[in-house]
Amino acid sequence: MTAPTWPCIEALSIAIRQQSADSSLRANPAGFLQGLGVSSADADAMLKHGAERILLYRRLVHNRLRRATREFIPRTVARLGKARFRMDFARFVEDHAIATPYLRVVPETFVAWVVEPWRNDPAVPAYLIDLAHHELLSETVKHDWRGGEPPTGLPLALEYPLRFDGAARLLHYAYPVHRLPLDIDDRTEPVADPIALLVYRDRTDDVRYLELDPFAAATVQALMVEHLPVAQGLRRACESLDTPLDDERLATAAQLLADLADRGVMLGANPV
Amino acid sequence: MHAVPPTGIGLGLRGAFLAQIAAGAADGRIAFVEVAPENYMHRGGPVPRRLDTIAERFDVITHGLMMSLGGTDPLDDAYLADLERFVQRCGTPWHSDHLCFSGTDGAWLHDLLPVPFTSKSARHIATRIQRARDRIDRPMAVENISWYLHLGEPAQTETEFLSEILDRSDCGLLLDVNNVFVNAKNHGFDPYGWLQAIPLERVIQLHIAGHEAWDDTLLVDTHGATVRNEVYELLAWVIERTGPKPVVLERDANIPPLEVLLDEVAAIDRVYQAAVARWGVRAERTKVGT
Repeated sequence: MTAPTWPCIEALSIAIRQQSADSSLRANPAGFLQGLGVSSADADAMLKHGAERILLYRRLVHNRLRRATREFIPRTVARLGKARFRMDFARFVEDHAIATPYLRVVPETFVAWVVEPWRNDPAVPAYLIDLAHHELLSETVKHDWRGGEPPTGLPLALEYPLRFDGAARLLHYAYPVHRLPLDIDDRTEPVADPIALLVYRDRTDDVRYLELDPFAAATVQALMVEHLPVAQGLRRACESLDTPLDDERLATAAQLLADLADRGVMLGANPV
Repeated sequence: MHAVPPTGIGLGLRGAFLAQIAAGAADGRIAFVEVAPENYMHRGGPVPRRLDTIAERFDVITHGLMMSLGGTDPLDDAYLADLERFVQRCGTPWHSDHLCFSGTDGAWLHDLLPVPFTSKSARHIATRIQRARDRIDRPMAVENISWYLHLGEPAQTETEFLSEILDRSDCGLLLDVNNVFVNAKNHGFDPYGWLQAIPLERVIQLHIAGHEAWDDTLLVDTHGATVRNEVYELLAWVIERTGPKPVVLERDANIPPLEVLLDEVAAIDRVYQAAVARWGVRAERTKVGT
């Protein structure tokens, strides 16, 4: 193993990220630093005020990252409990290198990472993953750099795909978490009831949620997510539901697309 | 063409009062705004639109958080490309970031972490400042941070370290007088001695903020309280010697109503104007003396 070029910088980073660093530093501060390649003179300087100053940086970093994440998913954290959130977050900071210089992206990274541990832990309510995604989405859709694109000005044509607002998302939840009260102290538990939701930013920058029935969800999946031409997309939607594409379905689809156009979500044909 | 730098007291723009400033609530009460590009880059929706509205009302100076000038990872080229577009759009006269590192091994820690006070570190940072300046095509300034421990045995004092970086990189100094105060208290040195040891002619901008005591021996630069009188005095001391500069009030925690912050801006401005007047007298005396 080669010696680190900047051992003090690397040691401070490890002291901040490593879960066991807190107890290791308290137990044997000089040993901890020297074990990371820090010379004894450098270790003495770093420990002039004791291990507490190194741990202060750990505290500052974790507090800042946790606070930023809690602001995005406050109800999820309240339901999970602060202690559990701290523990999961400490594991996240050690296990997953935060690869973004944008603080507001950290919550999204945390939620993506925590899905697996939560899914495998019976102590975490099953709906909490959906709630975390839902809360996160309210922020990410509101501030997505995409969205607000102008209409194409081209009428819908069966042989062409459609253009949709860049910030719109199709979500599938196992629990209807979007119906939970917004009160942070509320602990109502949703009953499992799979639902599809279209989330979009309206013209006044408010985030809106539209519950979709199975046919509408399959249509949005085919046309918005998979960018299929309209005729092919509608066939795909019907196939996925094992239902024929008859006049009634066509009328329903036309109504759905007109509604999405009114909401500023569907922007017209997109022949390119 | 770069913008003419503003002078006087500006405010660090924060989400808590962005909409109010965009609506005109600070018109005539602040000299300019300072923005953290990371809060606006890669972002859509109402926030960047509000910034555009604010930029029509006020001069904008950019002050970044994530360049990691003291870091050991290569400078993030994608970040710098986005930053270049942002600073060009804002027309900022310069861009500043901190004398710190913010992560290692591809992991961002999102904080201002201290760097070793050594000539090797100063050379490393100066080279990175020059690269960043070339990449974003703007003059650069660096800010002295609050540091709570020596990151290794110091081979230089902080002022020697700072001076070497400024000389080698030929960049400006964003002097944070609250950080000088916090460091002086935490490490037991005279803040005025510190100020006398730095090249004041390099100062192109100042920061002023509040801090909080975490225990009897430790002040932390939280930007979470009103500015203390001792910090006002440091600001006045500097302005009396440098003349008019842009000064930014920073507030990041326990943010009060905007009206309270604007009153604080007015209080800082009174101290600032008196210091500028004394600087004028000094300059006049110097002229007479020659």
